[in-house]
Amino acid sequence: MQLIWDGLFVGSFYALIALGYSMVYGIIKLLNFAHGDLYMLGAFIGFAVLSSLGGIPASLSIGALLVVLLLSMLLTGTAGVLIERFAYRPLRGAPRLAVLITAVGVSFSLEYGISAIAGPNPRSFPIRLEGEVFNLIGARVSLPQIVLMIIAGLLMIGLNGYIQNTSTGRAMRSIALDRNASLLMGINVNAVITRTFFIGSALAGAAGVMAGAYYGKIDFLMGFIIGLKAFTAAVIGGIGNIKGAMLGGLVLGFVEAFGAQWFGGQWRDVFAFAVLILFLTLRPTGILGERVTERV
Amino acid sequence: MKIKRHSTVLIGIAAAVLLTTSGCSGGLLAGDGGASSDADAGPVKLAMVIPISGSSAPTGEYMQNGANLAIDEINKDGGVLDGRKLELIVGDEACDAQQAVASANKAVSAGVVVSVGGYCSGATLPQLPIFEKAGIPMIIPAANSQDLVNQGLKNVFLINGTGKQQSTAALDFIKKSGFTTVALVDDNTSYSKDINTETAKQIEEDGSATVALSTSVTAGESDYSAVVRDIMNANPELVYWTGYYQEGGLIINQLKKAGFAGQIMVADGSVDPSLSEIAGAGAEGVFATMTQTPDTIEGAEDWIANYEEKFGSAPGPYSTQSYDAVRLAAEAIEEAGSTDGDKIIEALEGIDGFEMFSGPLKFTPEHTLSSGGFVILSIQDGKFVLEDDLS
Repeated sequence: MQLIWDGLFVGSFYALIALGYSMVYGIIKLLNFAHGDLYMLGAFIGFAVLSSLGGIPASLSIGALLVVLLLSMLLTGTAGVLIERFAYRPLRGAPRLAVLITAVGVSFSLEYGISAIAGPNPRSFPIRLEGEVFNLIGARVSLPQIVLMIIAGLLMIGLNGYIQNTSTGRAMRSIALDRNASLLMGINVNAVITRTFFIGSALAGAAGVMAGAYYGKIDFLMGFIIGLKAFTAAVIGGIGNIKGAMLGGLVLGFVEAFGAQWFGGQWRDVFAFAVLILFLTLRPTGILGERVTERV
Repeated sequence: MKIKRHSTVLIGIAAAVLLTTSGCSGGLLAGDGGASSDADAGPVKLAMVIPISGSSAPTGEYMQNGANLAIDEINKDGGVLDGRKLELIVGDEACDAQQAVASANKAVSAGVVVSVGGYCSGATLPQLPIFEKAGIPMIIPAANSQDLVNQGLKNVFLINGTGKQQSTAALDFIKKSGFTTVALVDDNTSYSKDINTETAKQIEEDGSATVALSTSVTAGESDYSAVVRDIMNANPELVYWTGYYQEGGLIINQLKKAGFAGQIMVADGSVDPSLSEIAGAGAEGVFATMTQTPDTIEGAEDWIANYEEKFGSAPGPYSTQSYDAVRLAAEAIEEAGSTDGDKIIEALEGIDGFEMFSGPLKFTPEHTLSSGGFVILSIQDGKFVLEDDLS
């Protein structure tokens, strides 16, 4: 049970970040390698907001966290939009590789920009979610974990509803299918892409704040490994597919948890990525690959 | 240029000023007549390749300040080799092998005489051949992987206790406290793995405790639930974390959250004020194997006051070792009477009883400290204090 719970918890972080990867890829076929760093940026924005607020009584920490979460999502989302506007849009017509390298460049700029501004030292997050730990059918579960998973779940459900039921959502799906046709149908493609970046980045920022509050430590390289893992999750689920990204995140969380259990902690990543390679050999489009369902 | 004639007298004066306590021996007279001041005039350059950027940058600053403190003192007292000033050339290693190589090459072409840097073992190892080829002795203040001396390079001297000595200290404390099951966790870096393997070996040879678990984690992540689960399943009385403080803090925090009831001990890479910040309340009572830091050395108050006055902040890990490395380099240069690498190496090998923070210095044949000087610290009210000096 503990394994399943741990996998689910880590997996929901992967899923939140994988969503942004997947949405952006679905719409403009760009692997946004700076996405993990938006997660880091979100954590630092949350840190800055909390520090400027000063001391917060422990009883209010969940409420304060929600406010900070929204604020960080807004700011990280804006940062994502700016990145798209200035780094990716001018290269819209350029070869795929050029944009990919730009994304790597953006990633480094974010990492070392933050390092220059906030310093290279790790910071401890001003609020720490400490809560009751109780036993839930054999697994040790803590209150903050449940709260964070509920937030992650709500964000994902909200996103799904948005894409399925709103006109912007429809526009996103149609751009994913055929950008030129969408343009001809009178859809403002740039505005929709901007919105996609905003949503994806905001989700990564939310994950960053949540990770900061739960684990208690943030540093300028924190987005690197989790960015790669989220990318993996997006590919497992079928990159470009929203539900696939969520599923992929959870699957990766489980595979890691079980791999660590069966082979020992130091073999966890080896096992997880061996599974990934095997999986992609058999099913290159991922669990819910784009050929099976509609992309976004 | 005036040729030095009364070198022994000058050396004697310089050495007397250099040493806070007089532990100097007749080794001073071991030079070859003393009048061979062959190198150029101008400052004598020392290289210090340490982490200026990256996650270990705070420690790099402590080291640089410590070294500068010694340099200023020595220069104020007339420098080395008849009035030549010391100059510190600082390079960034960023705890990264490639950066370290680039910085070391740069230092060599700047004409350094001795290297007094080296923090991350993984970034110090690739520097060895560079300084070795250039015939430049290395006094390594912090990095302490056994791999550094295993190659038997004659220019490499460690003034921090080695991984082996640290493991012995860990074992001593394990026996003294009566722990019977121990879990060893490292972060897969050269330094950390070294202590893990060595401690496991010594525990097994000794037989008074058993290794319940020996495992590694990936540095740079936030979630260590996998290793926490492994530890909970193995249920040891003591967890010994041999990596650095960032992951150490997270693992301590997550172990406590998971309800781990045993004790936790960390190695010297985790001895940093940030450890208890990251770990939160769970850090109280965590043990550490560490060489003496300024706050745990008796009689270091004046030194700390000097440091604080100069740099506006308190000294930290490896400030003292870096300070001592520079002093030792100056001592060896004086004794060699030249800036020639081979002569300095010879002088370093001959040193006996040079007073340092870790005690009187004498190198073993493999160029490590004859006594490691490790003690056990513990965290009380968020700070590392001396728990047991293992004597």
